[in-house]
Amino acid sequence: MKPRRKAVPGMRSRRTPTVRRIRPAITPVPPTSRPATRPAGAAAPPASGQAGPRGPEPALDVLGGRPVRLAVDLGRGLVLTNPVIAASGGCGFGVEVAELVDLPRLGAIVTRGVAVKPAGGQPAPRTADVPAGLLIGVGPQHPGLQQVVDRYAGTWARWPVPVIVNLGGASAGDLAEGARMLDDVAGVAAVEVNLSSGGGARVFGLDAASTSSAIAAVRRATDLPVIAKLTAAAGDLRAVAKAAEEAGADAISAINTLPGLAVSADRGGAALGSTYGGICGPALKPVALRVVYEVVQAVDIPVIGIGGVATVDDVLDFLALGAVAVGVGVAALADPMLPVRLADALADACRERGLEDVAALVGTALPARPGPASTRGAEYAR
Amino acid sequence: MRLAGAELVERREVLPGTFLTAWHAPPVVTGARAGQYVHVRAVDPGGLPRRIPFPIATADAATGVLTLLTSGTGWAGTVRVGDRADIAGPLGRPFEVDPRSRHLLLVAEGGAIVAVRFLVDEAVRDARSVVLLFGAATASSVYPTSLLPDEVEYVVATADGSLGHRGSVADLVREYEAWADQAFAAGPPSLLATLATQAAGRRQRLGVATLGRKRGGGRPPAAGSTEARRKAFLQVAVGQSIGCAAATCLGCAVEGADGVALRACREGPVFAADELAWPEP
Ligand SMILES: Cc1cc2nc3c(=O)[nH]c(=O)nc-3n(C[C@H](O)[C@H](O)[C@H](O)COP(=O)(O)O)c2cc1C
Ligand code: FES
Repeated sequence: MKPRRKAVPGMRSRRTPTVRRIRPAITPVPPTSRPATRPAGAAAPPASGQAGPRGPEPALDVLGGRPVRLAVDLGRGLVLTNPVIAASGGCGFGVEVAELVDLPRLGAIVTRGVAVKPAGGQPAPRTADVPAGLLIGVGPQHPGLQQVVDRYAGTWARWPVPVIVNLGGASAGDLAEGARMLDDVAGVAAVEVNLSSGGGARVFGLDAASTSSAIAAVRRATDLPVIAKLTAAAGDLRAVAKAAEEAGADAISAINTLPGLAVSADRGGAALGSTYGGICGPALKPVALRVVYEVVQAVDIPVIGIGGVATVDDVLDFLALGAVAVGVGVAALADPMLPVRLADALADACRERGLEDVAALVGTALPARPGPASTRGAEYAR
Repeated sequence: MRLAGAELVERREVLPGTFLTAWHAPPVVTGARAGQYVHVRAVDPGGLPRRIPFPIATADAATGVLTLLTSGTGWAGTVRVGDRADIAGPLGRPFEVDPRSRHLLLVAEGGAIVAVRFLVDEAVRDARSVVLLFGAATASSVYPTSLLPDEVEYVVATADGSLGHRGSVADLVREYEAWADQAFAAGPPSLLATLATQAAGRRQRLGVATLGRKRGGGRPPAAGSTEARRKAFLQVAVGQSIGCAAATCLGCAVEGADGVALRACREGPVFAADELAWPEP
């Protein structure tokens, strides 16, 4: 069995070869220097310019009298001040919500999906309500990666929060080209490869071989931290995750939306212009928990849990299964400040339990020995 | 955009299954204009935080009260007088009335009437004459006259002929198109497409000059600009579902005339008809 501590926040993952200066995050603030007026649960303010080559020291959250360490190391120098991330699609390119959200208090922002070639998105209607969630058929819609970088990277570089670009492509070559364009761009902290993208019938994340070629292509093209975003539509996620790790991914995020369908009100066809859509929201959470559980036991790199996070209990569930961080997607649309509040609530949860480091919450629900793989959709098979 | 902790001050059923809800929300009412909407925080029973968009039916700056038409199901079915809700708004771009327009033709079908309702008040306040053409399935679902000011001429069509003209509200438009300086519509996409097609052929039929084209030269205002919308004969409020209202999710896309997606939450929900791509009605 793999030692569980390898996927624990604050611990450096095995794969940290490049010494890379990521934008300054939070350095420890001595309790005495803290202004008394900060609202309860707020994280320490960013202090810039002090990040050493091995990344900044972890943040201390000392409100409530007790310091709580929330920092998370995703590898290759990407250290988040707290484990709650705005997932791709939840906050556009960040600039749209910059006025509404206290950016320094987010763990990271992941942009909406972009690719080298511009894309126009799917026909309307693009969303449909489903029980406990939303079905989305937005599709890739962006002016092309170069335009996105030209327009937003300068702003990102000024923000005290790491911005991770969610990258898609029709081929491994496309992904590599995109990753090369992002390499060395100030303001880009990491690349998240959307393995639910791909060309024609070939979606990267459905099998280990395509995943491997996609991630390897990106790895060769950039020194940035690379995060592989899995789709639960794959058959054997352990093999896919392992392939991503071996191809050079620094971390894994799981999961993307799951393909679904809704019927139009007049029952004359599908509710979405794109016919199929992606299910997100609480309806997706059990699937995401299952995937995180399986993947954490299969790889040594850190895992970010995404799917249906809306409350601090959801965050705690993902951490208990070994995720070191969580992404908030659709829930942030109605409530852009939700990820920040979840980070505060997580610190409170640590305090209530007398814990000084959020790492202590990670992996508590994992079995002592590796559990069996899920039975690939046939839950009654033996 | 402003946030208000609003209080429900009145709730009554005005049509079967449709409630008029009045909220005390002064910060949102301030500066609200016809065509704009609010985004009300509701909690889905499934645990997904949601906001529901509602067109502003009326907004009274003097009392700080705005009214919305809500259904009696889901979150809206649970609220009672005295309850509070988090309302964000006013959001989106409003109807743009040309200052020289004296005669306004408003066309609506079904529940979408709420999207043009506030424009009636604005027009009456500005001493313009208003004709409101309204279509419904049957007499029992016709928007009550008691909710409209006396100054408006209200003409009804029902699909089954149980009240007023039998047929579509679009049939009534021809009679008024020569009278109208501008038209404003809300309803299902098929109605809006029919109206857009009619509006596109209006000038040839009537042989009229367009407002604001006194001098031949000059660059026309950019499509989508306030100025261009003011000069448009027909403006429509689309009923696209709004997810984030912050231009981030792109769930509210409508196809623009040039094929590029426009966001109903930001560039809309009101558009000049010629900004959008229309299917054959
Ligand atoms: C409006 C919207 C757009 C999204 N766009 C992307 C995308 O471009 N790339 C991607 O990898 N995931 C995208 N996602 C998926 C989310 O990042 C997340 O994986 C998924 O929604 C599940 O999490 P949730 O239940 O918290 O929303 C999108 C989600 C939403 C709601
Ligand atoms: S509602 Fe989200 S972009 Fe318009």
